[in-house]
Amino acid sequence: MSATDCEQQGTGWGILEDLPGDPMIWVLIFSELAAFGLFLGAFVVARALHPAVFAAGQATLDAQLAGINTILLVTSGWAAARATAAARADERGRARGWLFGAMALGGVFIAVKLFEYAGEIALGNGLETSPFFTLYFLLTGFHLLHVGLGIVILAVVSRGARAAGVETGTAFWHMVDLLWIVMFPIIYLVHP
Amino acid sequence: MIPDRLDIAWIMLIGLALATILVPPLVARPLLANGLLLIFAALKGRHIVLDFLDLRSAPALWRGLVSAWVLIVVLFAWLASAIVALI
Repeated sequence: MSATDCEQQGTGWGILEDLPGDPMIWVLIFSELAAFGLFLGAFVVARALHPAVFAAGQATLDAQLAGINTILLVTSGWAAARATAAARADERGRARGWLFGAMALGGVFIAVKLFEYAGEIALGNGLETSPFFTLYFLLTGFHLLHVGLGIVILAVVSRGARAAGVETGTAFWHMVDLLWIVMFPIIYLVHP
Repeated sequence: MIPDRLDIAWIMLIGLALATILVPPLVARPLLANGLLLIFAALKGRHIVLDFLDLRSAPALWRGLVSAWVLIVVLFAWLASAIVALI
């Protein structure tokens, strides 16, 4: 098959090509949604089996800090969406500025989360304190790693600030946002 | 400056986030509070999926798949809490 034939048939990603950004990021996004979905399902089942343990653990969490982090992350998502709109209009300088804003807010999210962890550890809560804290630290820690990775991805795509790259990077960032939106009430607020 | 679709989505997300924080101190009944918290989560997810991820213009398959993920997770969480409350 010649290069021309390949171009005429698309990039070979089929229906994934209809999604914004590089199709490969969507393979990653769907994998992450599946993994976090199962992880959250395990948290919900464990809570149903040990409601008293989970209620006691949840009572020590700082839901206000997590609420502040929600506002930070959705605002960061808005900045990322603005960056995509600017990149599509070929306004690379503006796109870069919005991306820096999104990254800065992501950095504050990490700082707030580390402050929250320090508070929990000061109270004597760790990975092995109870099933609640094992799942709390693993779920939120795994998510925190994704926030860090997302900032790195946004930094990489901000260099060229081209539409395709920015769409790809911000798609990952919005997934990180979506995960937190679902995790926040389930871990911090829902009554066991 | 007139707010566009992205600005409106952001304002809605901030409003829903604030409403989420207010549910525990204002709603005493656990099942109702859990229901409200998870409905707000689903609404926030909808804005992120349709407006920020921009799947509003994507094929229904992808829009439905990501939206279904949000709905399944929040519905499962509510059902589990409801079963525990009823037992």
